[in-house]
Amino acid sequence: MKKILLSMLLVLAAFSAFGCEAKTETEAITIDFWHMSPVGSESYAATKAIINSFNDSQDRYFIKGTGFSFWDYWDKIAVAISSRTAPDIGLSTIDDVVTRAEAGVLYNITDLIAADPGSIDLGELYQSQLDFATYDGDLYALPFTATCRVLYYNLDMFETVGLTEDDVPHTWSELYTVAKQLDVVNDQGEIQQLGFDPTYGNATYHGWLWEAGLDFFDEDLNPTLNTQEYVDILNWIIDFNGEYSRSQLTAFGDANTMLGINPFAGERVAMMVETDGLYQTIKNSGADFNYGVTYIPIPDDNGIRVNWGSGFSIEMYDNGKGEDDQKQGAWEFYKYLMSYDVQMELSTANGWIMAHKGAMQTVSVGDPILTRLIEEVQYARDKVYVPYAPSWHGNDWQPYYNNALTGEMTAAEALAAARENYLQKKANWEATHQG
Amino acid sequence: MSEVIVKTRYHSRKLRTRIVHIILHIVLVLCSFVFVFPFLWMLFTALKTPAELLQGIRVFLPQDPQWSNFIEAITKIPFFMYLKNSLIIVVLVVFGTVMSATTAAYAFAKLRWKGRDRWFIVMLATMMLPIQVILIPTYVLYAKIGWLGTRLPLIVPAFFGGGAAFYIFLLRQFFKGIPKELTESAIIDGANHFQIFLKIMLPLSKPAIMTVALFTFMGTWNDYFGPLIFLSNPDHWTLALGLRAFQTQYGGQYNLMMAASILIMLPTLILFFFAQKTFIEGIKFTGIKG
Amino acid sequence: MSKTSSVKKLKKQENLVGYLFASPWLLGLIVLGLFPILLSFYFSFTNYNMISAPTFVGFENYRILLTNDNLFWKSMYNTVYHVVIAVPLGIFVGISLALLLNNKIRGISVYRTMFYLPNVVSIVAMTLLWMWLFQPNFGLINQLLKPLYNLFHMEPIGWYLDQNLSKLTLILMGLWTAGGSMVIYLAQMQDIPTTLYESAEIDGAGWWQKTFHITLPLMTPSIFFNFIMGLIGSFQVFTIAYIMTNGGPSRSTYYYAYYLFDKMMIDKAMGMASAMAWILLVIVLVVTILALRLNKYVFYLGEEA
Repeated sequence: MKKILLSMLLVLAAFSAFGCEAKTETEAITIDFWHMSPVGSESYAATKAIINSFNDSQDRYFIKGTGFSFWDYWDKIAVAISSRTAPDIGLSTIDDVVTRAEAGVLYNITDLIAADPGSIDLGELYQSQLDFATYDGDLYALPFTATCRVLYYNLDMFETVGLTEDDVPHTWSELYTVAKQLDVVNDQGEIQQLGFDPTYGNATYHGWLWEAGLDFFDEDLNPTLNTQEYVDILNWIIDFNGEYSRSQLTAFGDANTMLGINPFAGERVAMMVETDGLYQTIKNSGADFNYGVTYIPIPDDNGIRVNWGSGFSIEMYDNGKGEDDQKQGAWEFYKYLMSYDVQMELSTANGWIMAHKGAMQTVSVGDPILTRLIEEVQYARDKVYVPYAPSWHGNDWQPYYNNALTGEMTAAEALAAARENYLQKKANWEATHQG
Repeated sequence: MSEVIVKTRYHSRKLRTRIVHIILHIVLVLCSFVFVFPFLWMLFTALKTPAELLQGIRVFLPQDPQWSNFIEAITKIPFFMYLKNSLIIVVLVVFGTVMSATTAAYAFAKLRWKGRDRWFIVMLATMMLPIQVILIPTYVLYAKIGWLGTRLPLIVPAFFGGGAAFYIFLLRQFFKGIPKELTESAIIDGANHFQIFLKIMLPLSKPAIMTVALFTFMGTWNDYFGPLIFLSNPDHWTLALGLRAFQTQYGGQYNLMMAASILIMLPTLILFFFAQKTFIEGIKFTGIKG
Repeated sequence: MSKTSSVKKLKKQENLVGYLFASPWLLGLIVLGLFPILLSFYFSFTNYNMISAPTFVGFENYRILLTNDNLFWKSMYNTVYHVVIAVPLGIFVGISLALLLNNKIRGISVYRTMFYLPNVVSIVAMTLLWMWLFQPNFGLINQLLKPLYNLFHMEPIGWYLDQNLSKLTLILMGLWTAGGSMVIYLAQMQDIPTTLYESAEIDGAGWWQKTFHITLPLMTPSIFFNFIMGLIGSFQVFTIAYIMTNGGPSRSTYYYAYYLFDKMMIDKAMGMASAMAWILLVIVLVVTILALRLNKYVFYLGEEA
């Protein structure tokens, strides 16, 4: 009995110990900033430095930054937004800014800029990104980072078969010719090295479609996928490495792509469509082969130079509590984050492509690959946001895509089935959005 | 004559047991290899250099074991602060869970009260709703009562059987296995239910309680989601959550992550090793012949 | 006379004491649990994208799921398939492991710890391992089985890449964590009075008889437990497919809970996801209540006979 009383006392003591949080009294107003560089990550130091220098430069506001790992960030911010406990300033995705703006959880950036003239130079930002952040004529977020997709090519492998930088392909037929020269298969029929595969890396079906002037949806957000051109392009993808069995290709792909280990960086694939992030990965790993980047090859006729790029948005959240002081402080920090110096600092330290064109120009001097990457950002375009199928390119498309690739369904069947699915989702969505 | 027979019978039985033991050992070793493999994998990954990570499975054994990865994993994050936070939460949760689960289990196992069987079904039903759909409503609740940003959402429910339906059911099964004669003779001697609970039920259920403590420890120790959602001050973060810092958008530092994972795994393993020793002690009382 | 009156008094108090003992749990359920549960039930009748306020839509979510959603039935089938096979298999393997490890040979503690290891190891490491073992082209298992394939002139088994075998493969992978149920069985085995074994041995019983007439019957409380828990748990199978197969190939491992997760996190349709959760609850509840009838076959040492 005594033992139990004692342990209960201990428990009570423990409760009181941590229950009372020590309240540090500061004059400054605390501003919450959420980002994706948690303590221990590679980009933590630079992010912390930037926050610290802002705090040191003035004492009216105190920026409290919290970093979450990339995978956890989205759960955290989603729950926070839905319960109106979002941070004062945070990152998010650009393509669905509209849904948040519509719901009234974001502060109007256009109004803030208008009340503070000269604060932010919108000319330094990419128009396509700004368009995505616009709702009802006003900006509700600004682009913070930018990404793009390019073709990486391994010059060492080119050299082995007698090719040079001049032979880098720019059209689909050139791509095919060059790729076939770079395939290496051993005596047992196992693929040792592959020239190129239109499904590897970050290549997507819609990316290829865009180059031919097509897309999954029309202007009214109705699903397309219903003409011969779609079938032809899908067949081009399926047949590119058609001389190998799909199981051979999957084995080769699986053997190299396991959780972040990249076939191009591992020198198993000669050319690959990838994001700008691969550049950072290769740099960090210390791999030392010769390579370059160029724009993704386009169709021989009427091809359009375009790639899928997005980026994070930076937003100020309105929790509906009328916290004007915090709003003002967040705005000051917002301007700071979008300034030339800070954008340059973040890019140099973390290897990100930031949204500020001027800053990126300066950073890329002397770095040929980064220069090329930034050049491609101009041609980058984000995917359209479809409310009834937010993951139209992922969850709703992948199963049909994979079936077409493995031969389970023909290209035409897969496209028709995918289209059916979108139509059903659209009907269901409309049924629950009448009220 | 009979002596010889007894001796040969004894020897042949001893030989048989020996052979059985050897076969057992062989089977165990083979099976163990299968079960230990994942851990070996983690260990090798933890010892690789970033370049080796890029090679994926083609390089199974690290060529130049980087034991320093373990040190780096500890120093890159505030390991000991996270450790302290994990301990605070885990100790309280294990204590609270054992307390509330044993009492509820006793009620379901040995006592007759109105609606008991219907509440039992309700208890089982609480395990049938996937946690994802409860998440936002729970968050809203804690926001309304002002517990957000504190450790309370992670600790208080444990003292009230939160998430303990599994353990309540488990302990109920074990309590039901304790012979009626013991409880009845105690009642006749004038004991009340509290004394029966404390002096008979609990001491006799050590293996089961150990199991509950072990599983609760493991679940809480490894839980990153609860701390992620409910803690707002990074100084309160637990090890499981802090570990995720090594996972970034483009892959991450997998060698460091594995190194940290192994370190985090060790307490559970050690706890298990000692906990299962109680499973050898056998039973505390000899069966009472009715 | 005082003895019977104390027994009588105890019986009268039993109702009150019962509630008293159950009160921590009961309080927790009503104060902390009821609100979220009721709220999620309410959400199932709304359209809620987790950003704007929910709008009431009546039974629309349920109607759509049950009549106009091809993935609903597909994912339900996948989950039921999984339950029907994984639960009995899991019990069989768990009991076998426990019987194997209930021996007093040297180093048994080490063996037990090793068998339990997969439950402690991170799921990320387990996934890499499974890929390494089960990959149809370069995985270890198919390499080992190559002679057999050549002998019978058959294609190597596609394991998790074959839509007809993927669910079975995932079930097989799930067995790695059988150590969890093994622990519970081991704990139960310690409660079996050694005198029973002793008297059986005197009567000349061998290992088989001892196991089937003493050990297993007296293990029925924990077998029953693992059966019910196995049912409830396997209806929510999700993580393994999420990490390994993305629900493929051809949605063959797209479980009900996976679809629910996608509805919530990707389609941002919390109302629909809540409806899915409540449909699942009703199904599992009915199945469990039926399964609870098996309680009459369970032999509790602490009850009668």
